[in-house]
Amino acid sequence: MVESAAGGRGAEEGRLPYTADGPGKQEEMDRLDSQTVAPHGENDESCQTGEESRRGRASGGGVQRDQAFAWTGDEQHRQGHTGPAVAKLPNGDVECVSCTASRCDSSDQTNPARCCSLDRNGKVLVNGELLSGSECASLNADVSPASSTSFVLCVSKPQSHDATHDMGAALHQNQDVSSSVRLTSGYTSSSTLSSLVQREATSGGQESGMTSKNCSSEADSECTLHSLRTFSQRDFCSEPLPSNPEDRESCPGPNGQQEDSLTLKDVSLNSRNTYEISRRQSAPDNMPGVLTVASSDAALKQKKQGLSEIFGRGLFSRKQKEAQSAPGWKLFGKVPLRESPPKDSKTIQQEYEAKTSKGGHSPPRPSQGRRKNLEFEPLSTTALILEDRPSNLPAKPEEEAQRHRQEYDEMVAEAKKRELKEAQKKKQQMKERFKQEDNISSAMVVWNTEILPNWDSMRGSRRVKDLWWQGLPPNVRGRVWSLAIGNELNITPELYEIFLSRAKERWGTFRDTGCEVETEVESGTSVADRESSLDLIKLDISRTFPSLFIFQKGGPYHDLLHSVLGAYTCYRPDVGYVQGMSFIAAVLILNMEEADAFIAFANLLNKPCQMAFFRVDHELMLKYFAAFQVFFEENLPRLFSHFQSSNLTPDLYLIDWIFTLYSKSLPLDVACRVWDVFCRDGEEFLFRTGLGILRLYEEVLLCMDFIHIAQFLTRLPDDVSVDRLFGCISCTQMTSNNRKWTQVFSALMKDKEVDKSSSPSLKSS
Amino acid sequence: MEAIWLYQFRLIVIGDSTVGKSCLIRRFTEGRFAQVSDPTVGVDFFSRLVEIEPGKRIKLQIWDTAGQERFRSITRAYYRNSVGGLLLFDITNRRSFQNVHEWLEEARSHVQPHSIVFLLVGHKCDLESQRQVTRQEAEKLAAAYGMRYVETSARDAINVERAFTELTRDIFELVKHGEIVITEDWEGVRSGFVPNVVHSSEEVTKSERRCLC
Repeated sequence: MVESAAGGRGAEEGRLPYTADGPGKQEEMDRLDSQTVAPHGENDESCQTGEESRRGRASGGGVQRDQAFAWTGDEQHRQGHTGPAVAKLPNGDVECVSCTASRCDSSDQTNPARCCSLDRNGKVLVNGELLSGSECASLNADVSPASSTSFVLCVSKPQSHDATHDMGAALHQNQDVSSSVRLTSGYTSSSTLSSLVQREATSGGQESGMTSKNCSSEADSECTLHSLRTFSQRDFCSEPLPSNPEDRESCPGPNGQQEDSLTLKDVSLNSRNTYEISRRQSAPDNMPGVLTVASSDAALKQKKQGLSEIFGRGLFSRKQKEAQSAPGWKLFGKVPLRESPPKDSKTIQQEYEAKTSKGGHSPPRPSQGRRKNLEFEPLSTTALILEDRPSNLPAKPEEEAQRHRQEYDEMVAEAKKRELKEAQKKKQQMKERFKQEDNISSAMVVWNTEILPNWDSMRGSRRVKDLWWQGLPPNVRGRVWSLAIGNELNITPELYEIFLSRAKERWGTFRDTGCEVETEVESGTSVADRESSLDLIKLDISRTFPSLFIFQKGGPYHDLLHSVLGAYTCYRPDVGYVQGMSFIAAVLILNMEEADAFIAFANLLNKPCQMAFFRVDHELMLKYFAAFQVFFEENLPRLFSHFQSSNLTPDLYLIDWIFTLYSKSLPLDVACRVWDVFCRDGEEFLFRTGLGILRLYEEVLLCMDFIHIAQFLTRLPDDVSVDRLFGCISCTQMTSNNRKWTQVFSALMKDKEVDKSSSPSLKSS
Repeated sequence: MEAIWLYQFRLIVIGDSTVGKSCLIRRFTEGRFAQVSDPTVGVDFFSRLVEIEPGKRIKLQIWDTAGQERFRSITRAYYRNSVGGLLLFDITNRRSFQNVHEWLEEARSHVQPHSIVFLLVGHKCDLESQRQVTRQEAEKLAAAYGMRYVETSARDAINVERAFTELTRDIFELVKHGEIVITEDWEGVRSGFVPNVVHSSEEVTKSERRCLC
């Protein structure tokens, strides 16, 4: 709908669609995209003459507009256009104003997007602007959010009636469209437009449908109009772009395809898009008056460099000036703001050319501009190749045109193929997900009904072990972990409460008095340690799994985590709080009740490996690393020697992994799977997982140097596939010289002379 | 394909837990600031190339250490192979400033026979209203230890570049004057792709332009 060129909009936005002139238009006119303004539903027949409407609009707009109009009108006449008058908008767009029998009420002009009608020649008049068949008005989407976008649809054929109806309706509502977005996309393919239009009609306006039609411009006023193409999005997506080279203007579409192709140039609401619109790279010679929005398409510009010079003077330059002076006239597709004037001209030029050339084969598809809401992005410029060259250039030779058509077809086919592939992939993913869920639920039943009730007897069975490997169903996970970790320490929930209250006391004390308070529990550690532990806990809690937002202050689990960790420091003052613990406690809290989490936490940390690490027992840590190295060399000899030569010792990456049980390094769901099997197999599995990770990324790691490996391993990619990881883990055999992990480890324990080279940095100093 | 750099310096970043070591480094190497990020467990690694003078690029290998005291026994082993260090304290946390002395002692005693060029950094300088350490006293401490002092803010990107590049320049000067020696078994400084000496990059280009006819 025509935006309020009439007045409503004011000069600021140029939005109006202007029509490119029809065939034989002055080439020098810049042209804005021909937009066809969809007549709004009413299809009223009256339209002002082009001139009048122009003027009318102009009056609404700024002074510049008037000038533009006036000028272009004159130009038109000067050029002896027989076709509809073309108005050149200040922004260089050419507005097609034709005189037709129908007239629009001048009052329409005050209502943007209002008056769309088909005149008796099948021309669309929007807001009194006539888009004759041979002209396309470029519809300039109003850039300003407040303004409505107007569309100008050129409909030259009566049969486009329906389409225009739709479009009209669609356009009509422009007012509400906040749109810049919608029209933003530079070019809209006709389908887009049509879909827009349709959408408009139905939804009341989201987008202004713009259908640009290339006005065939056979040098005369023959209404080569272009059928208004209406496409619905679905059509767009599901059908290949119609490439009917022969049918220049026809727009395939669900409804009433008109034979003429519409080149919809989106008057983009934002300048970027308008530029996009005119990306017609090789404007067909015979492009029927296509209104092109001046676009800043560099490509176009380049192509038409020569042209711009030719056209540079006179009209052209004038256009530029106007364009520059009227930044607001975006509607006409020219976005002077964005582009340096010369460019604009070129583009406009091209557009114009495209528009004016009659199309022998024109791409039925108007460049699909960027209708953001359309998915079929690629089409936006694809069709450009089908355009004919501007009429002042020699026409494309048939072979070239043929080739272009082929290329176009290929592009379209390619795009469609891609889309199909995407869809297939998605479907596949969904299927997998469903399958997984099914597995989980059936496993859950087995766990709940068979295994858990008979835990002691069943936990060692092959079947249970296999099920376990595949991952514990989330809602039995907590229970299985609890059972597997056990409670050697015999902690009861009551005991937890006691420690918790002591912890709270201490926090309270510190908070209130800010000084040390000696209590029996604290005698083992210095005040400074305790204090810093508590402070640290507080700080670390908010840093735990920040992306989940549950442990931060005010989050649902903040206090819970604080309680568990605080209670632990009271329970084990000799260990206190060590960074890394917060992750372990957090994962437990996520899977069990508070007291159970504390019990599991205390028992877990009591395991030899964890104790060794959290107390930073160097000797012991070195032995673990040495054992790890044995199996590393056994399983991944190439990587092992690469690490050796790069001086990448295990401590540099294992500490983070072991301390946090991979909860910091792997995505949470993957880490939980690791924990599952860790609960089943014990500490050996932690090191086996480490080897699995190294195996998974072996190829990549082999190419890296020290610092990159170190960075990579301490910040593993987010997209670790749990299945692939577990595949690698299962390939990792924890056997070396017929010795298993525990044997290797014990041997090392006995050996006073642990190979220091396994971790030079941890040499006892 | 790696850019050509003259030297690679290994820098270590130390200081109390939560003073902002990781944030400062991330701001420097990744250009971003994260209000909340994971506590460093053990050591984290970062790297970045800096151009201290036109044409003179130094690759920095930055080791970000866990600040908690418990981890000192692990991180102390890393001092030996570092040529430079940033010693951070939080200007809104007096205790972290008081611990600077300890950190320095720790570092110096574990780096023998080499030495580390340190830069004292007062971090979180954007939190002026919560300041607990004055600039004067920090400068005094730095001077006493023969270090520069810089106040930085990762959040507001204040002096972040400056801190690292000044330290790098200082080290570069020492290397240039032979006060820091590159040896095979020491990782603190590594020589880059350009062969030989610091200025050989110019020679190389010159020779390439030699006419071959």
